[in-house]
Amino acid sequence: MARLLIRAAPALAAALAAGAALAGTPAAAADPAHGRVVFSQMCSVCHSNTRGGPAMIGPPLFGVVGRKAGAVGGYAYSPALKGSGVTWTEPELHTYLQGPAKMIPGVRMPFGGVKNPTQLDDLVAYLNTLK
Amino acid sequence: MPPGYKARFAGLAFAAAAWAASGAIALAQPAKPAVADHPIPQSQRVEHEETLDRLAVLAKRPGAVGEAARKAIALFKRHYAREEEYILPPLTLLPVLADGKATPDMAWALAMCDRVKADQAEIFQEHTEVTNAANALYSAGVAAHDKDAMEFARAAVTDSLNDLELLEPTVMLIGEHLRMALGPAR
Repeated sequence: MARLLIRAAPALAAALAAGAALAGTPAAAADPAHGRVVFSQMCSVCHSNTRGGPAMIGPPLFGVVGRKAGAVGGYAYSPALKGSGVTWTEPELHTYLQGPAKMIPGVRMPFGGVKNPTQLDDLVAYLNTLK
Repeated sequence: MPPGYKARFAGLAFAAAAWAASGAIALAQPAKPAVADHPIPQSQRVEHEETLDRLAVLAKRPGAVGEAARKAIALFKRHYAREEEYILPPLTLLPVLADGKATPDMAWALAMCDRVKADQAEIFQEHTEVTNAANALYSAGVAAHDKDAMEFARAAVTDSLNDLELLEPTVMLIGEHLRMALGPAR
């Protein structure tokens, strides 16, 4: 039995890894450099990404991972976002950025979401570098 | 018969026939708010015209900026048509309402305000499409070092947020206020 388990271990590990990828968690192979490009294409019109960067149309995103939603002082968040109780972990950002209004109804960010899974993974990986 | 009588009679007959024909056309149309009867605030009219003019200029540029601007034009026109049909007209009442006056002849706005409330999800979706178009234009503008495109895109997204934060909620509030002021039977 033990020998069987040892033989099955690599296959089991591969299956678990594939399962994690299918579950929508950020892939380990995500490319933050490409995520920066995605950021410039989809986010930079509204959000700054530099340390101490200003609130623009949207709140600054430097340091967003680990921050509580609606926590940047002086930015007028929607009540929905401010009251969401969300803390921006990578998985939370992953879900949110697929469709902000789907995850938090009443949010005012007029953005439909990142539909391409690779772009989404890379963007979240890039946001995680902003610290 | 006084001089010119025949000509005046003929003129009146023609006007009556034209009036009857216009009535027949009006009856044949589906019931819609009469846009011409309920214009939008002039500031909004000017803003729409200027925005479309700026976009038309960008649409003539070569490469990705022109392409993104041409794609955006259709979206902007569709959104402005919706705004001019039923989102913006109730805002013409705002100065009078702010003076504390609400009169029965303002009741035309109720159906429009109710429609804004009912269509919130659809209107939000339209704003996300405008944002996507603005993102594409901004991105193309950055690549081409085209400041006009970048500024236009930023202004467009700001305008979308302004609609969501101020304009559309204000229209819904006008509806609530009118209904209270004119009575629940409205």
